[in-house]
Amino acid sequence: MNPQPALAIKLGKLELAYPTLMGSGCYGSGEEFAPFADLSKIGAIVLKSVTRLPRLGNPTPRLVHTPAGMLNAIGLQNPGIEWYLERELHKYAGRPCKIVGSVAGFEIDDYAYICERLAARDEIDAIELNVSCPNVAREGETFGCDPDLTARVVEAARATTNKTLIVKLSPNVTDIVAIARQAENSGADALAVINTVRGMAIDVETWRPRLGNITGGLSGPAIRPIAVLAVYEIAQAVSIPIVGQGGIETLADALEFFLAGATAISIGTANFTDPRIPERLVAELQAYLTRRKIGSIQEIVGRAHVEIATAHQYEGDEG
Amino acid sequence: MIGMTMLDLHPRVAATTILERRELADGVVLLTLHAPELAYATQPGQYLMAIPPSGEAAATALAVYEAEDKRASILFFVTGKRTRELASLACGDRLDVVGPLGNGFDCSGDARDVAIVAGGVGIASVWLCARELLRRGAHVRLFYGARTAELLVDAKRFADAGCELVLATDDGTRGERGFVTDALVRSRKPETIYACGPSPMLRRVGEIANGFGVRAQLSLEETFGCGVGGCWGCVVPLTNASAQAPNFPPAERGGSDVVYARICKEGPVFWAHELRW
Repeated sequence: MNPQPALAIKLGKLELAYPTLMGSGCYGSGEEFAPFADLSKIGAIVLKSVTRLPRLGNPTPRLVHTPAGMLNAIGLQNPGIEWYLERELHKYAGRPCKIVGSVAGFEIDDYAYICERLAARDEIDAIELNVSCPNVAREGETFGCDPDLTARVVEAARATTNKTLIVKLSPNVTDIVAIARQAENSGADALAVINTVRGMAIDVETWRPRLGNITGGLSGPAIRPIAVLAVYEIAQAVSIPIVGQGGIETLADALEFFLAGATAISIGTANFTDPRIPERLVAELQAYLTRRKIGSIQEIVGRAHVEIATAHQYEGDEG
Repeated sequence: MIGMTMLDLHPRVAATTILERRELADGVVLLTLHAPELAYATQPGQYLMAIPPSGEAAATALAVYEAEDKRASILFFVTGKRTRELASLACGDRLDVVGPLGNGFDCSGDARDVAIVAGGVGIASVWLCARELLRRGAHVRLFYGARTAELLVDAKRFADAGCELVLATDDGTRGERGFVTDALVRSRKPETIYACGPSPMLRRVGEIANGFGVRAQLSLEETFGCGVGGCWGCVVPLTNASAQAPNFPPAERGGSDVVYARICKEGPVFWAHELRW
C-alpha cells in the first residue's frame, strides 16, 4: 500500500488538512451547509466580510444568473465588528476545519482596527483582507485597485497580528501583478486570486438594470480563464502562496489552478450548484495523485509554467 | 423519552428517482419523486433545491408540492435554461435534491375560516398547507388566479379535497376576469390568510389582510443563490423586531429597525405585517 498522497498545505502559518477553502460570502459561517456537507473534508471556511459599522447591504435584486455564472451585488451586509464579536463569532468555535475571518473597510484604519480585534479571537485561524469588493460604492475596491493603497492596508493590518494574512485581489485592474508584488512586499502571507469581475445585466422588458445595485461582480465558470491567467502571472512574480479561485467546479478545473501556480483553491459559486462539490473535489484530487503516483499536491503547483516553444523573434518588433 | 425515536427533520442531500412526469398544461410540469425522507420531513411551505443533472447551472429552488407516502413532487413552469433541463427528465431518471429547506407556513392555531391565495405557480406552495388546514377542520377558501384558464392547474384537486374555490384569470377564460385579490377584498373576512404568488399579488394580500384586521402569512419568491442561507442573495426588508429577523444590531446599537432577511433561510414564509417592502 502506498501512503495516501498528501493534500495538506500551508499558507504562511496556517496549516490546512486539505487545499480547499470556501470562498468568502459563499458559504455563510459553515453552519448553513453543515447538514449536508462534511466540514471535516474541507481546508477552511472564509467567513463573510465584516466591516467596522453595521451594513444593511444593497437593495434587491442582489443576484442574477448569467451564462456560465452569476452576478452578485450583496453589498457587504453584516452586523459590524462589535456585534459580530459579541453575538456571532462564538458560534464558529469547534468547527472541524480552519476558520478565516474576512475584513473589509473604507479607511486604512478600518482594516487595522477590525483585523486586530478579529485576529485576537481564538475562533479565527487566519485573516483575509478584502480589498476588492466591487459592490460597495467604489471606495471598497479602491484599495485593491491601487498598489500603494494596497501596500498601506496590508502594512496596517500586518502590524496588528502574526496570524496568516491573505490578501484578496481584484481582477478589475490594469496590472494585477504589480498589486500582488506590493501585497507581498507589505507583509502578506498569501494572495487570494481573484475576486469577482465587474459586470452588469439589463432587463430588456423593463429597460432597467437587473441588479438593485446596477453593477455587480461576476463569478462562476465564466471567469475561470481570467482567474487562471491571473494566478499564472502572479505565480511568476511572487514567492508567497496563492489561493486560486474563479469558477472551480471539477477536478480538471482545480488542476488548472494548481498547475498555474496556486497552492490552494477556493470554491464559491459551485456550492450553489451542488454542496457536495468540495468533498468530491478532495476525493478526486486524492485519487488523481495516487493514479499518477504523485506524493503531494505541492509537487504539481506551477508545473504548467513554460516558455512559448515556437516564439519567433523579429528584429525591431517588441510587440 | 426512552424508547422513542427522534424525528430527523434535518435537510439533507437525497438521490431521488422520478416516478412520474406529467404536463399539466403547456409548459407546466409535475415531477413526482421517490423521496422517502423528504416526503416524511417536509412541512407545509418548505422547498427543495434541485441539483441540475448536467451540473452546468445553479440549483433551482422549488416548493415541495405534494409529500406523502415516500413520494414528493415538484410543480414548475418552464421559464428558462434551468427549468428546461428539469422538464427534460423522464421517468426513472435520477434527480438529486437538497431539502426540505426554509421556514414554511404555521398551520397551527384554531382558525375555522381561512383563506389561501395562490397566484400562478404559487399554487405549488399551498397544497400541503391546504391539506393540513382541512385536516384540522378549518373551512378553506382557495382564491386562485392565473393568466388563463389552462394555467389554473390542479384546481380540481383542491376542490375534491374540500376547498371552496374562488377562481380568477387575467383573460376571463375561467372564473372572474382580473386579479384574484379583487375577489378576496370583496369576500367575507377570513380569520387568517395564507398566500404564495408574485410579489405584487403578495403586497396586495398584505394590504387586504391589514384592511380586514387579520394576519397573513406570505411565501416569497426571489432569485436564490445557495438556497441555504450562505450567500445573502435573496433578501427582503423585515422589521428587526420580528422573531425571524437575522442577527443584526438594533438602531440604538448603530444598527437598524429594518433589516434584510434571507428569503431562503429566515423565510420563505413571513408575516405580512412584519415586512417593510
